Amino acid sequence: MFEANIITILIATLIIIYLTAMLLTKMQKAKQLEQEAEELKKSLDNMDEQAKIIVRTDMELNRIQEELDKKISGLYALQKLSHSISMTLVEDQIFQRLSPEHIDELGFEKSLIFFWNKKGGEFYTKAALGYAEEEKELISAHLNGNKEKFLSLIEADETLSSITMPENFIDKNTLRSIFKASYFILSPILPKQSECGFIFIGTEKTDTLITEGDEELIKILATQLGQALENARLFEKTWNSQRELEEKVGERTQELTAALEEVKKMNKRKTDFVSSVSHELRTPLTSIKGYAAILLTGKLGEIPTEAKQRLEKINRHSDELGHIVNELLDISRIESGKVTMSLEPWDLREVINKIEDLLSGQLKEKKIDLEILVQPKDFKVLIDQTQIGRVFINLIGNAMKFTPANGKISVSGKKKDGMIQVDVSDTGCGIPQEAKDSIFEEFFRVENSINQEVKGTGLGLALVKRIIEAHQGKIWVDSVMGKGTTFSFTLPQG
Amino acid sequence: MNLVNNFVDPQSKKCYIIKPMQIGVGFSSNNDHIKAAQEAFNEASSAINRRRPDLALLFNTLKLSHPLVLKTIRDSLGDTPLLGLSSPSIIVNRGSCKNGLAIALFSFPEDIYFNTTCVKEISLNNASSSGEKLGDDLLYGCKGIRRNLSIIFLDGQIPEGENIIFGMQKKVGRSFPMVGASTLGPVYFNNSILNNAACGILFGGKLNFGLGVKHGWQPLGKPRRVTLSSGNTAQEIDNKAAASLYQEYFAKDSSSLKKDLKHISPFYPLGIDISGKKEYLLRSLSSIGESGSLAFNGDIPQGSRIRLMISSKEYCLESTRQAAQLAKESLKNQKAKFILIFNSLARSMLLGRQENIEISAIKEVFGADVPILGAYTLAEEAPLNSTDYLGIPYYHNNSIAILAMAG
Repeated sequence: MFEANIITILIATLIIIYLTAMLLTKMQKAKQLEQEAEELKKSLDNMDEQAKIIVRTDMELNRIQEELDKKISGLYALQKLSHSISMTLVEDQIFQRLSPEHIDELGFEKSLIFFWNKKGGEFYTKAALGYAEEEKELISAHLNGNKEKFLSLIEADETLSSITMPENFIDKNTLRSIFKASYFILSPILPKQSECGFIFIGTEKTDTLITEGDEELIKILATQLGQALENARLFEKTWNSQRELEEKVGERTQELTAALEEVKKMNKRKTDFVSSVSHELRTPLTSIKGYAAILLTGKLGEIPTEAKQRLEKINRHSDELGHIVNELLDISRIESGKVTMSLEPWDLREVINKIEDLLSGQLKEKKIDLEILVQPKDFKVLIDQTQIGRVFINLIGNAMKFTPANGKISVSGKKKDGMIQVDVSDTGCGIPQEAKDSIFEEFFRVENSINQEVKGTGLGLALVKRIIEAHQGKIWVDSVMGKGTTFSFTLPQG
Repeated sequence: MNLVNNFVDPQSKKCYIIKPMQIGVGFSSNNDHIKAAQEAFNEASSAINRRRPDLALLFNTLKLSHPLVLKTIRDSLGDTPLLGLSSPSIIVNRGSCKNGLAIALFSFPEDIYFNTTCVKEISLNNASSSGEKLGDDLLYGCKGIRRNLSIIFLDGQIPEGENIIFGMQKKVGRSFPMVGASTLGPVYFNNSILNNAACGILFGGKLNFGLGVKHGWQPLGKPRRVTLSSGNTAQEIDNKAAASLYQEYFAKDSSSLKKDLKHISPFYPLGIDISGKKEYLLRSLSSIGESGSLAFNGDIPQGSRIRLMISSKEYCLESTRQAAQLAKESLKNQKAKFILIFNSLARSMLLGRQENIEISAIKEVFGADVPILGAYTLAEEAPLNSTDYLGIPYYHNNSIAILAMAG
């Protein structure tokens, strides 16, 4: 029994010890768990604190992003708007290009543009977006009631907003209620000019944040509107000047055309007159020459020597007169278009050869060397061979006249600007500078000793000019006194 | 010809020619109301080969919310049912648009049925009963027909709009698939432009559709519990004035918190931990009460575990891809013929100038040629587990809900 009790006590003691140990372990674990929970709570709190930092940073970033987005959108809108207004040079159209979409993209809803009418002494509306007609009138009335303040604002060239409005200007809230906008920006247009104005841009949204960036953006817009306006005004000015100039040029052209017509008429009359006089002269001239010739034969009786000498003079002068009449007739025919050039392709050398044959006797007699620098088949020209033959006869004949013995005449050719240029040069006495312009005129003769000695009609070069022009060519002269003269003319290629 | 399919009814053994489903979307940004409506209608109509549409959806931006728009469209539509909404920004294939209107015209095969209705003059007191009425009216005539999906549009100004969903769920069933939006402007129903109203469509028959909804916001900081709340207002969180949560996180006093609400609300919603669901249900802050209470766009149940949520552009975009992928996977390998998107305005604010990358991501999933119609919304209604038929539709904030239709 005792033993049993001892065993029971021992077992109970052991159980107590075990339970105590267990309890101690549990208590230790509970403490540990409590510690862990505390640490976990602390971690959570730390995490929450970190979350706060993250949230605040994120919010700041969002705000910056929003501001950046707004600026980029504004810049895009400004770029579009600038492009749009720069595409027109009509003053009224500049303001019509301002659309509600542009204003919306700039972050606003309404816009007004006022300009100062110096003559009338009041502001007037150039453009209005987002305002009813009666609202526009009310704003206009208020503006003109405070025109000095608005004018001084424009003169100061200051961009103001509902945030930066100075105290001495009109009360911010008054402006808010008149312009029906919670937030707004006001910027002058062409502040240094007499016809200046300003742009107002605003929003009714109460949560709008107007920044310096917005003010800068609207200032740029106002400047660009001003520039576009200046360009349009300058263009209009230039346009008007150009129109005036064009009108004047038109008037002068008309006058000149009329004068030219008159000259043409007079020239025709002259040609007709010369032609008819020449015709009229030719018939009696033929009779005179005929009768003189009959008298000279002596068939009508013996003529005394003195009378014969006179008759020979009549005969010679009649020939000279006939020559003049024929040349005059040729000139007038060419001028009036009565002579048609029968153009055919010719080898230039072949044409010159014929003239060389014709003049070889005279050249030999005068001891003048004719040098032809044009080789056969070098140049093909489209010409009336008979007429161009006359040109060569005249030019080489002239050269022979003014070139002293042992002198030289040369004929050369070259291609130039799709034409064939022919140069006839001599080593003669030359033509004075002042005579060059008149040398192709009818009856003009250079005043020199040779011309006084040698007879001439003064019609040769005039005829040459007409023939060359009838071939769509040009003729001109270069000369150095005492050294020689070169006549150049162009002919179409064959 | 692939334009029609022969269908043999196994019961009646009769052969029907089933016309394929055709959906066309037209868009216009013309500032002239009539021209805009005509241009958009003509584009949509030509996309369905000028067939007479069975149903029309009209989404327009607030600037083009005008009776003339509706009248012009109604003149072209005749008595075809029309539902629609206004939003600050709408979504079409070319991207998001702040000024424009889009029309989707639907021509359904005979084996797809639908019913449309609307409830008007909804107030705080009758939101739930209005929802029940909406459900009842949509179910009318649909007995014995397999019901598939409901699309609803709510005027976002209705207080406690979530109750409309609860009311409707009482009638159509809690797990009945639903996709919808609360918008910033009025809703359209046939000839009417309605405020304080809700309208909806209930589809039945063999409609092949897929739904995806995601938000991409992640929990931040330690979990908290709503200790006192009623409806959409939380009075206390962790036994402290609810506003102190935001005050602590943003180191702001009550007045500066109110001032900065516009910058806080879209980016930092609260996430409600829904038991058994992976995703948190988001609630964005709508106002701060004088007593320090917080009002949200949607109910915040008392006792719910909540976390402050944060997101980034990358997370937001990834969630869009996931939502699109979920919707696509439910189409049973059929190519989508139409995509309807309800995208939270908060997401648009988060993405800023890059908001169109979401639409590009959706087009990458479905193909660029699939017509898209969508709107930016105040709240979205869709099942939390989108692909699960038993998923219960919730009233979401900051989410993108994508509905894809095939057939």
